Amino acid sequence: MSARPGSKGQVAIVGYAHSDVTRHAGRPLGALAVDTARAAIADAGLTAGQVDGFVTSALFPTAGAHAAEDGVSLVSADWLAQRLGGSPRYVAGFQGIGQIPGSVALAVNAVASGAADYVVMHRALHNPKGSYHANPMRTAGGAQQWTVPQGFFGPLSMIALPYNEYLQRYGASRETTAAVVAEARKNGARIPWSYWHDRPLTTEEYLAAPLLSDPICRYDCDIPVDGVAAFVFTSAERARDLPHRPVYVAGQASSAPPRRRLPLHWPLDDIMAGGTALAKRLWEQSGVSPADVDLPQVYDGFSPFVYFWLEVLGLCPVGEAHRFVLDGGIDSDRPGALPALSGGGALGNGRMHGIPQMLECYLQLAGRAGERQRERATVGVACASSPHFGGAVVYSTAPR
Amino acid sequence: MTAGPAAASGSSGPAAAPEPTRPVPAPDERSAPYWAAAARHVLTVARCARCSTYVVPPDHTCPHCGSTDPGFAFEPVSGRGTVRSWTVVRQSFLPGFRGEVPFLLVDVELAEQPELRVIGRLLDGPDTTLRIGAPVAVAFEDVADGVSVPAFALAEPSATGPGEVRS
Ligand SMILES: [Zn+2]
Repeated sequence: MSARPGSKGQVAIVGYAHSDVTRHAGRPLGALAVDTARAAIADAGLTAGQVDGFVTSALFPTAGAHAAEDGVSLVSADWLAQRLGGSPRYVAGFQGIGQIPGSVALAVNAVASGAADYVVMHRALHNPKGSYHANPMRTAGGAQQWTVPQGFFGPLSMIALPYNEYLQRYGASRETTAAVVAEARKNGARIPWSYWHDRPLTTEEYLAAPLLSDPICRYDCDIPVDGVAAFVFTSAERARDLPHRPVYVAGQASSAPPRRRLPLHWPLDDIMAGGTALAKRLWEQSGVSPADVDLPQVYDGFSPFVYFWLEVLGLCPVGEAHRFVLDGGIDSDRPGALPALSGGGALGNGRMHGIPQMLECYLQLAGRAGERQRERATVGVACASSPHFGGAVVYSTAPR
Repeated sequence: MTAGPAAASGSSGPAAAPEPTRPVPAPDERSAPYWAAAARHVLTVARCARCSTYVVPPDHTCPHCGSTDPGFAFEPVSGRGTVRSWTVVRQSFLPGFRGEVPFLLVDVELAEQPELRVIGRLLDGPDTTLRIGAPVAVAFEDVADGVSVPAFALAEPSATGPGEVRS
């Protein structure tokens, strides 16, 4: 493989913190973010004065008519940096495709370029009062005029269409997907800060839930929450002097813009084509192959994404993910299986976007997963969003 | 709102909020011909004046030839297509559709061009048995005075036979 210029393996995560994940925190999201960032900085063995970079993706992913207020419904990097003191040199927000991988790339590039020495990357997500996505619009203009008058609106129908395509094309069923959701909830139930802590879900409960937009039921969707996570990044060289075992960023790839379509129209072929191209770049860029990955963490904000990610990453053949899952292929308790949802994912934690995947890679690779610590965890992949409209980051215990 | 005789509803309490109505399209300068044709129950699709490609949805450039002056014109199409996917909406985030659930949405590939896909309601009802590749034809819902929204209805296989329907 030809050497690429860049930061591969030169930048590491050296500390983290995570708030409790609740339906409504009972305090402003910004206050939660400040506390979480301070805890992450302390965890890394640093002081706020040493942190000179702040990055995030502040997106508030609602289709509803909620106002987006900094410090309340979202927390920008500027907002957080201003309140943590110190003398930041680099403050940036990610706007583009793949929120978490995109902001990880901002942090990595800031360190690699010398723009900052110690970067806090955070993600703050808010659950507003009332319905998350309800929108009382009476007229639909712009791009929405092509879909809203027909009643096509919001993420449930968005994901229901490619999910049904998958079920029809490959003969899969909701019974299989029950196994996906039960696996996520089993693992999420073991995580103290999770909204679903101690609350696993049975296949029977899953199958008894009414459908919302066929074949999607409520348990196929991550639950909206208030929650904040923060990570500290620095160079491999500086990481040596810090208390925790560094976890290196070995590579990153984000989706290219997908084919132009109607708003929220995500055909299965688009998802798979975009994801396959992303995975090819991810392996080339990181120098690892699917067989090297002992800790894939697939994104599951909607359960069908698990099938799509397993297939585009080459962890099972295309069209086979549903059988793979049913055969125990992602059972985190089964020796030899791929623990693809061991961190509980979004379904097992709450709507924290790609944070559960990233955090599981960090905790396991840093040897900090406590009772959940896996024997073998050397290369992890943290996926985010849809394979055609997201991204993935490769983490490693070794600088590469 | 001012309180007054006009607000009186015959009951002692405040008048019940009116049932929200379905969102209607707000045509703009570019889309006006599309909605005018729909009102006459004619389905049109924007077509690039430079390369003749049909484009959904049209915006400022052509995704096929890259023209920044694509001169999109809405041209009538056959209205025939095949079902690529579907969902039954049982809970809508649009209050104006809450009286309509459950309803069926279909992802339709129009006959005119591969991957030319639009989404609309299937008017045969939410319990319709569907399959990938099922043939459909455009139909229209008259939702307000002078406003019709394109939808679909199951159709007989085209004259060329089901073998011609993409699988
Ligand atoms: Zn063109």
